Amino acid sequence: MTAIPASAGAFPAARRFGAVLPLLRGLLALAAVLVAVELIILAFGIRPYVLPRPSMVLEAILRTPAAYRDAILRTGTEVLLGFGAGALFGVWIGVAFSRLRFLRETVFPIFIVSQTIPVIAFGALVVMWFGNTILAKAVIVFYLTFFPVTVNTLLGMRTVDQKQVQLMQSFGASDAVIMRKLRFPTALPHIFVALRIASALGLSGAVVGEWFGDTTGLGVLLLQGMYAENMVAIWAAILCAAALGIAFFSAIGWAEKRIVFWGGETA
Amino acid sequence: MTHDPMTPSRHALARGLLGGGALFLIWEIAARGFDLPAYILPAVSEILLRFWTARDVLGGAAVYTLGEAFGGYLLGGAVGVALALCVTLVPVLRRVIVPAATAVNSVPIVAFSPLILLWFGMGAGSKVVMVAVAVSFTMFVSALAGFDRVDERSVNLMRSFGASRAAILWKLRLPTALPLILSGMRLSTVRSLIVAIVTEMLGAYGGLGWVIYQAVIVIDFVQVWAAIFVASAASLAFFGFVSFLERRLVFWR
Amino acid sequence: MKRRSFLSTLGAAASAAVLGAPAMAQDLTEVSLRLKWLPQAQFVGFYMAKEKGYYAEEGLDLTINPGGPNLLTENLVATGSDTFGLSGGTDSVFAAVEKGLPITCIGIAHQETPFVFVSKADGPVQEIADFRDADITTWFTGANYVLFGMLAANGLDRSAMSIQPQQVSVTPFVDGQVDVVTATRYNEYYTLMTRVGEDNLKRFVPEDYGVSFPRDTLIVGNDFAAENPELVQGFVRASVKGWLDTFADKEAAIDLILSEAPTLERPHQEFMLDEIEKIMLAGAAAEDGLFAIDMDAVSSAHQILVDYEVLGGPIDLEAAFDSQFVDAIPAAERLPQ
Repeated sequence: MTAIPASAGAFPAARRFGAVLPLLRGLLALAAVLVAVELIILAFGIRPYVLPRPSMVLEAILRTPAAYRDAILRTGTEVLLGFGAGALFGVWIGVAFSRLRFLRETVFPIFIVSQTIPVIAFGALVVMWFGNTILAKAVIVFYLTFFPVTVNTLLGMRTVDQKQVQLMQSFGASDAVIMRKLRFPTALPHIFVALRIASALGLSGAVVGEWFGDTTGLGVLLLQGMYAENMVAIWAAILCAAALGIAFFSAIGWAEKRIVFWGGETA
Repeated sequence: MTHDPMTPSRHALARGLLGGGALFLIWEIAARGFDLPAYILPAVSEILLRFWTARDVLGGAAVYTLGEAFGGYLLGGAVGVALALCVTLVPVLRRVIVPAATAVNSVPIVAFSPLILLWFGMGAGSKVVMVAVAVSFTMFVSALAGFDRVDERSVNLMRSFGASRAAILWKLRLPTALPLILSGMRLSTVRSLIVAIVTEMLGAYGGLGWVIYQAVIVIDFVQVWAAIFVASAASLAFFGFVSFLERRLVFWR
Repeated sequence: MKRRSFLSTLGAAASAAVLGAPAMAQDLTEVSLRLKWLPQAQFVGFYMAKEKGYYAEEGLDLTINPGGPNLLTENLVATGSDTFGLSGGTDSVFAAVEKGLPITCIGIAHQETPFVFVSKADGPVQEIADFRDADITTWFTGANYVLFGMLAANGLDRSAMSIQPQQVSVTPFVDGQVDVVTATRYNEYYTLMTRVGEDNLKRFVPEDYGVSFPRDTLIVGNDFAAENPELVQGFVRASVKGWLDTFADKEAAIDLILSEAPTLERPHQEFMLDEIEKIMLAGAAAEDGLFAIDMDAVSSAHQILVDYEVLGGPIDLEAAFDSQFVDAIPAAERLPQ
């Protein structure tokens, strides 16, 4: 017990502050950047329709905060649904591909081809098949997220050392145990790389999905701004999208730290 | 030696064709059997026929789009790997570049399109930039994960033998990172074409996205599908080419 | 040991939404209207009719679905995904009918061409003949044929001219890289006014040069119209009432649309509604009332597209445009008091 560092154990308040510190630093950095941009725009007299001042953008958000909050919630939910399903399916099918060669060789090429199709070309089909529901957007997010996860799961499974597999087998470990204790933990770092990439793709997918006739969401706000050539509105939507994206990215990073740490111990 | 799953053997190629063939067959039967109109789902045979009759338009558009995608791919790949290198070599930068790159990337790329069209015009330039933005982040994440995979003990060991930073990079970090960099490059091929096409649909003078956009306006869905088939074929060729390079490079190692 | 793969706990189910046939709920028939774009003052009359319960009075439970880029209203109505549509215009109706999509136009909202071509008041383009040596941008999504028609009607050879696709922004025009830019009267023209000032702009209105392209067409699926003529009639009647209420109290209409889309700019929406009112009550509508189908204007637009071989050949206009539903409402009830 005495080995616990004093700074962490003895002063819980300080420890809590320690956890908040990076966040605070990030916010400070952001504020500094915004102030700098504001000053540069003022100093060089950059026209608002080339680059609006951050204060104008923030003002626009604060004028109708409920609209931006609803949009973030809506888009965020779409991404969560689609990304969750896409990640699970990606890992599942990646593992299946690594075990079943026939399946992999027959279906994987179709997956690759499916990823070469720009969803935006099929707006009408998406509406016809899934209507104007949140499901339609989640499906698009799913469609964009599962592929990188599949590829990296497969890749991760392949990096497993065959000698270790043989060793475990010689101790009588079942396939399921080898999967859980060796293959899956080995693949996890690869999977997390894919999840990071997929979260950004998924957000793009949700935004494009909202272009197929919807009333709320960041994609809708973006489109409204684009149509009226309202740079302030475009940047307000971009800013919200950035906030949402960073939130997802940080959440994945946090999960990675927790889970891969655990994986490292058991592997 | 492990067999790379993404580089098909002759055997795998046959199975891939089998899967594709089965899909096309089901599609054809569904479209013909239910007598679906073209605005719901045109028959594959009709699309393939259009392939031939509109080959000049589609071929020209494919070359145009591939050119944009390839330009942006090279630019974005170089930027992404270079940034990852900077971050690895100068750790102080990590706290700046990683959040900044994350912030930029977390904005859906399509959101930037009006800005980039405004700044770089409607020609190929704006597409190259859009593709580069999209590709650079994937490459950055992949390369950074690759460089980070290096065991710090090995780095310290090499350093204790007096190896320079460049030597450590060349002999240790780069080979370790290579598989992840290459997998990132492979993922980016497909992405680069899609981003080029999507940007073209928002405003362009040519390319597959422009063909698709025009076809939707005049309600020519066979043309839409034909252009999409061409886009898929072009992506696959690009993907195959990079996979081929990857196999050569890994073999080299 | 329990041999249970962790795989079994993972699964993804992609379930297709069931797009049902119109269901009865409290004696109301569920129908939908697909707009050509996102909520804005251009469409506020429909929101007004819904808000005031006019659709419900006609036995309709109407959902208003917004449009979006690359989403073709004709397509969604033809497949039955939506019951009614406010689609692109006469041009998109021609194209749809030519391609065999089972839809009919039952009313036209914009009686005049909503596009204008704009130059600078002190610039090199002062009259249509000056277009010959000018750098022109236009949308190659319909507006280009309006321009071609205008040029041809005034004896100008477009093949010798510089006409480029227009990008998402009017900035190249503002900055002087482009001499003539295309604008809708209710949207881009507002942006131009705020940036350049109305006094510094010169408008070329297609109608002044012998070309008219009525747009914003009300469409319905043929099967639905054949089976439910009274519902189609009710939809048109309620929509007309909604629009008349809109013009009677524009302040309330703007409030309504801003509650639908709060991030829109009020002054812009007010300008838009003023322009929409003019366009909707122009031409044949000045006499016959809202949503009048002016077959002369329709066939002249049709002729331009046939001449430019956008259409493979003439289509059956009598079948594609059916004015029985608007005609059933007396003109007096389709005009503001």
